[in-house]
Amino acid sequence: MVIRIAAVGDVHLDEDVVGRFRPALEELPDCADVLLLAGDLTRHGTESEARCVAQEFGGLGVPVVTVLGNHDHQCDQVPQVVKVLEDAGITVLEGNGVVLDCAGGRLGIAGVKGFGGGFAGRCASDFGEPEMKAFVRTTNESAESLGKALRSLDCDMLVALTHYSPVPDTLAGEPLEIYPFLGSYQLGQAIDSAPTALALHGHAHAGTERGTTPGGVRVRNVAHPVIKQAYSVFHVGDQHDSDQVSPIGRSGSQRSWS
Amino acid sequence: MSHHRDSGAGPPDEYVEAEIHRLLAEDPAVAEQGITVVRRERALVLYGEVESPHRRAEILRRVAERFPDVPITSDIGVIRAQAPTEIEQLP
Repeated sequence: MVIRIAAVGDVHLDEDVVGRFRPALEELPDCADVLLLAGDLTRHGTESEARCVAQEFGGLGVPVVTVLGNHDHQCDQVPQVVKVLEDAGITVLEGNGVVLDCAGGRLGIAGVKGFGGGFAGRCASDFGEPEMKAFVRTTNESAESLGKALRSLDCDMLVALTHYSPVPDTLAGEPLEIYPFLGSYQLGQAIDSAPTALALHGHAHAGTERGTTPGGVRVRNVAHPVIKQAYSVFHVGDQHDSDQVSPIGRSGSQRSWS
Repeated sequence: MSHHRDSGAGPPDEYVEAEIHRLLAEDPAVAEQGITVVRRERALVLYGEVESPHRRAEILRRVAERFPDVPITSDIGVIRAQAPTEIEQLP
């Protein structure tokens, strides 16, 4: 069973960018079962920018599922942005999920924007000033809703879609000092609370593509400046005979060259 | 008693760097969080990638307008948007 997932984030559309992605997007029905967008679809989160997104990513011939990013919140027009996207047939997730029937099986996607906070041992705490507590509670609530959505889906393959990063691995290249603004370990913990096959995020423009959660779930940063192409395509599922592929050892300590 | 030291040479480079960084993120005409400002001996250099040549030009115009006396050089690219040529297998 293989499901073909195309994904990109941080496309930051406005009128000056409309049409740039479209030639590559027209090829999607031949190479993917679904397109996932990892937030920051717009520059400032206005209704008119959302119409640019609808024009660019609407009517593609494959289902399009998205979360919003921090840029999409900038002008406090989230309901209008969501409506424009949904009118164009794009599914917008925030603390919920969707199951799509693909040729390779039922693909469940749970999504949330997520929030910052930092990573284990170097993160903000729910303590002190009201502003700090509000910050961390936003993170906690976001992660909890992601975990709940992931665990609720009845599907053959489960994918987590966020804007903020669930792991520090895919932030490599960003200044360490800003990691707490780029993601939070609670998102990783939520992803690990369900049998997730793949986690996709954006937000970290100077980060790197690949990482894993502490529980072993593969994480990919699909921010456009990171992947440097219109979208990446992942073939997820069993595609080799089990004899051909060595299982990854749980300890991870054995190295073939040692 | 201490005296406020004013060399007459404008604010220290570090504050200029911070101001440019915030301008790029907070100015609605720019709204770019992914541009890095690096201090070099002769100039401040802007690195990063944007979605269109128009946005790159706007960044340089806004920074030059706000800091007319600061020498700025730019190495900002426009991100390619071609279809992928390879897929990643995730068994």
